[in-house]
Amino acid sequence: MRIVLVRRKKPLKYGGLVVALLSLLSGIFVFTIFAWLIGVNPYPVVETIVTTFIFPGVVKDFIILTLLGYALLIAFKGALWNIGAEGQMHMAFLVSIYITLIVFFTTEKSLPLYISIGVILLSIVAAVAAGALWGGLAGVIKAYAGVDEVPVTLILNYIAYFIGDILVYGPFRGKYVYGYARTDLIPDPYKLSIPVQRQLSGNALIDTVTGYMAEFATYAVWLVALILVLIFTYWLLNKSNIGLRIKILGSNPDYLVSLGYDVRKTMVLTFMLSGAIAGLTAALYYHGSLYRIEYPLEYNTASYGYLAILVAWLSMLDVYLVPLSAYIVSAVILGSQRVSSLPSVREAFTRLQLGGAEMAFKLLMFGSILLAYSILRFIQDYELKVVS
Amino acid sequence: MSSPLLSVANITKTFPGGVVALDEVSMDFHPGEFTVILGENGAGKSTLVKIMYGIYTPDKGSIILKGREVEIKSSLDAIKKGIVMVSQIPQLVDRLTVVENISLSLTRIGMFETMTRVRRFFKEVSEKIGIKVNPDAKVWSLTYTQKQLIEITRAILLDAMVLILDEALTYLPMEERRKFYVYLNEFKEKGRSVILITHKIPEALEIADKIYVLRRGKLVGALDKASANIDKIRDLMFGEAAKTITYERFTKPYETPIGDIVLNIRNLVVEGDYGEIAVNNVSLSVRAGEIIGIAGVVGNGQRELLEAIVGLRRVREGRVIIDNHDVTNKGVKLTRESGVGFIPDQPLRYAVSADNNIVENVAALFSRKNFVVNWKSMRELSEKLINEYGIYPPRPEMHVKLLSGGNIMKTVVSRELEYASKALVAYNPTRGLDEATSTFVRRKMKEKAVNSKLAVLFASEDLDEVLQLSDSLYVMNRGVLYGPFDPVSTPRSKIEELMVV
Ligand SMILES: Nc1ncnc2c1ncn2[C@@H]1O[C@H](COP(=O)(O)OP(=O)(O)OP(=O)(O)O)[C@@H](O)[C@H]1O
Ligand SMILES: [Mg+2]
Repeated sequence: MRIVLVRRKKPLKYGGLVVALLSLLSGIFVFTIFAWLIGVNPYPVVETIVTTFIFPGVVKDFIILTLLGYALLIAFKGALWNIGAEGQMHMAFLVSIYITLIVFFTTEKSLPLYISIGVILLSIVAAVAAGALWGGLAGVIKAYAGVDEVPVTLILNYIAYFIGDILVYGPFRGKYVYGYARTDLIPDPYKLSIPVQRQLSGNALIDTVTGYMAEFATYAVWLVALILVLIFTYWLLNKSNIGLRIKILGSNPDYLVSLGYDVRKTMVLTFMLSGAIAGLTAALYYHGSLYRIEYPLEYNTASYGYLAILVAWLSMLDVYLVPLSAYIVSAVILGSQRVSSLPSVREAFTRLQLGGAEMAFKLLMFGSILLAYSILRFIQDYELKVVS
Repeated sequence: MSSPLLSVANITKTFPGGVVALDEVSMDFHPGEFTVILGENGAGKSTLVKIMYGIYTPDKGSIILKGREVEIKSSLDAIKKGIVMVSQIPQLVDRLTVVENISLSLTRIGMFETMTRVRRFFKEVSEKIGIKVNPDAKVWSLTYTQKQLIEITRAILLDAMVLILDEALTYLPMEERRKFYVYLNEFKEKGRSVILITHKIPEALEIADKIYVLRRGKLVGALDKASANIDKIRDLMFGEAAKTITYERFTKPYETPIGDIVLNIRNLVVEGDYGEIAVNNVSLSVRAGEIIGIAGVVGNGQRELLEAIVGLRRVREGRVIIDNHDVTNKGVKLTRESGVGFIPDQPLRYAVSADNNIVENVAALFSRKNFVVNWKSMRELSEKLINEYGIYPPRPEMHVKLLSGGNIMKTVVSRELEYASKALVAYNPTRGLDEATSTFVRRKMKEKAVNSKLAVLFASEDLDEVLQLSDSLYVMNRGVLYGPFDPVSTPRSKIEELMVV
C-alpha cells in the first residue's frame, strides 16, 4: 500500500484569482480568530486592517515589495522557486556597506553632487552584482548538483545572515555605535531619500492625501527604479530570447533540450537575473531607508524577501498585477502590525505575559495567508491517491 | 433494433475565443456495436468524447445512458458509469510502473486488487491482444504507442461498458491491430459498445458497424456498414481536399540526382533507458536530396537511434558524422546549429511548450541566436506556417495546448521542416494527422528533400508511409538494422516478415 501524490489532469474549476482572493480572506480570518482567542474584540482588528489600505505608511513597503515581487516573478516564470531573496539582499547590503562605510566613508555633511552620485551608483552596481552572484550560486547548485532550489535558497539565506553577523561584529562594526553590534550610519551625502516637511491640517482626508504625497516624494528615487524594473521585466519576458527561454523552462524544459539550449545555463541565468533585482532592491533600501545594518542580520529586511513570495504568487505571475499584489500584501501586513498596538491587544499581551506583539502578529498574518494559499494551490493542482 | 446504450443529443460546445468545436451534434451508440468517428484534424472528435468522459461540460445538449439522462461530472464519474476512454495523449503517471498505474485506477473506483493479481490480469489481457510490455517497467521509459497499449489494457480491466479509443490504435503494427480488433469484437458481442476515433479510413470501413463524420464541429454524415465507401467518406470529411489524398509513390517531377553524404552513421551502439543495448551496430548514410525510411514495430530501437543521431542520447560506440563533421556525443546544440530539423517521438512532450503560443514556440527555434527576438518576423513566419499547413484555428497567439492533437502536430512538423536546411530526422512524421494533411506533409518532405537538397531520415511505424516516401528503406528489429531495400521491388510481405521475426 502506497500513497502517491499526482498532478491533477484537469485543474479544479476555480482559477488563480479565486485562490488569491480566498487565501487573503482566509488569512485575515484566521488572524482575527487568533486575536479573538486571546481575548481581543474582532471588530477593531478587522477595522484596523481594512483602514490600512488607505494609509500613507504603506507606500514604503509597497515599493520595496513590488521590486522584490519582480525579482521573484522572473524566477517563478521559469518554475524556479527562489525563496532566497533575503540572502541575495543581504549579500548586496554587505557590498554597499563596504563601499559607503569603508572605502568611501566620510564625515562630511555634504559632498559635491558628482561624488555622491558616483558613490551611490557604484554601490548600486556592486549590490546588483552581489545579488546576481548569490542568486547564481543557488542556480549552479540546483542545475549542476541537482539539489532542489527551495532548501538551497533557504540555506543560502542563513549563510548570508551568518556572514553578515560576523562582519557586523568584526570589520564592519561602526566607530560611533556605543558598543552595539552594528555599522555606522550611512554618511548623509549617500542618502537617497528626500526629506519632506509636512504640516498636519487635522482633516483626516487632507492629511491622508498629503501623507501619500510626502511618502512618494521621499522615495521618489525608488519609484523611478520601480518603473525601470517594471519595464525591464516586461521587456525581458516578452521581447528577449532569454525571457522566452525562461518561460519555456517553466513550462516544458524538455522542449528546451530538444531545441539544443543549455537548460542548466538557463537556470543559472534566471537565478542571476532574479538575484540582481533583489540586490538592486537591497541597495535602494539601504541608501533610502535602512541607513545601517545591525545584528542580528535577519531583522534588517523586515522579512521582505519572504513577503515577496506572497506578492509573486498572489500576482498570478502577471507583470501588471505585481504592483497591485504588492500593495495588498503591504497593507495587510502593515495592518497586522498596527493591530498589535491596539490597546486591547497590548492589554491581552501583558495579561498573558507575552512580548513582541508586533513581530508575532506580522508573522501570524504572513503565515496564515501563506498557509491558506499553499493549501488552496495544492488542492487545485494535486490529488492524493492510494496504490495498493 | 435495440435501444442505444449511450447517446449524445444536440451537443454544442464553444471554447473561449469563439471556436465552435461542436454544433448541435447527436449520436447513438448501441450495445454490440462498433462505432467509428471520423473527421479532419480539429473537427471536434476529441472534444465530443471528452464530453462523454466528463472532461468538458457541454454548453448545451444532453447525454443519455441506458435511456436516462445523466450528468457526467468527472472522468472518475464516467468510469463508475462504465464509460472509459483512452485518450490521444497518454494520461499515465510517469513515475509509477505499469502495474502500479493500473492498480491506481482500479483503486479509484473501489476495486481493490493485489499487485500480483493486477500483474496476472495485465499479462492475460496483453497476451490476448498480443502486446509486449514489461508490467514492471516505469512508465516514463515507454514509447507513446506502448503507453497507449497500457491504457487500453487498463480500460478493459476497468470493465468498461463503453470503450472509447481516441486514436489509440493507430500505431499498433498491422498484425497486432488485427488481433486487437478480434478482441474488440469479442468485447462488443457481450453487449458492450466500442467508439473508435481514427484517421485510418480503410480500416475504419472494415471494422465499423457505424460511422459518424464530423466536419468543423457539425455532424455531416451517419453511415452504416452497407452504405459507406471510402470515396464518400473522404468526400464528407474533406470536401475538395479529398482528391489530394494518395498513397502512391511520389515519382516523376521529383526524380533528380542525389548529392553527397550528409548523414553518416557508422557502427552505432546506443543504450536504452535501462542500459540495455537498444541500437546494435547500426550503419547507414543519407545523401543530400535522399529520403531514407526505417520501418519497424514500436520499441525496436528506432527512437534511441534517432535520438542518438541528433545528440539527445549518448552514443556508446560508433560515430555520427553530419556534413563531414564528427558530432558524436557533442550535444543537440551542434546538430541543431548545423541545420538539422527533428521530429521526436512524443512530440507533445518534447517538441512543444504547451503553455506558450505558436509564435513563441516558433521563435524558440528560429530566434536562437538573437538576443532580442524579432517578434514581427516570427509572427510572419508563424502565419506562413499556419496558412501553408492549415493549422486551425489560424491564430498565432493561440496557446499550443488549446489546439487539437493533429494541429499541435502540424505546428511541430511545419516548424521543423521549415528549419531543416541540411537534414531532417523524424519519428512518425504524420502521427495524428488526417489523411489529407498526411499526404500534404509527405509531399512537402519529398519536395523539400529534392528542392533544398535535404537529407531526410525518418522512422515510421506505418509501413505505407515508409513505402510511399522512401528512396530506399531499412527495417529495424531488436536494435538491428536490415537493408537497404528498394521500396518498389521488394515484396511487402518480406518487409513485414522482417519487422516481426
Ligand atoms: N480547451 C480548449 N480551448 C480552446 N479551444 C479548444 C480547446 N480544446 C479544443 N479546442 C478547439 O476545438 C476544436 C476541436 O478540437 P478537437 O481536439 O476536438 O479536434 P479533433 O477532431 O480531435 O482533432 P484531431 O484529429 O487533430 O485530434 C479545435 O479547433 C481546437 O482548437
Ligand atoms: Mg483529437
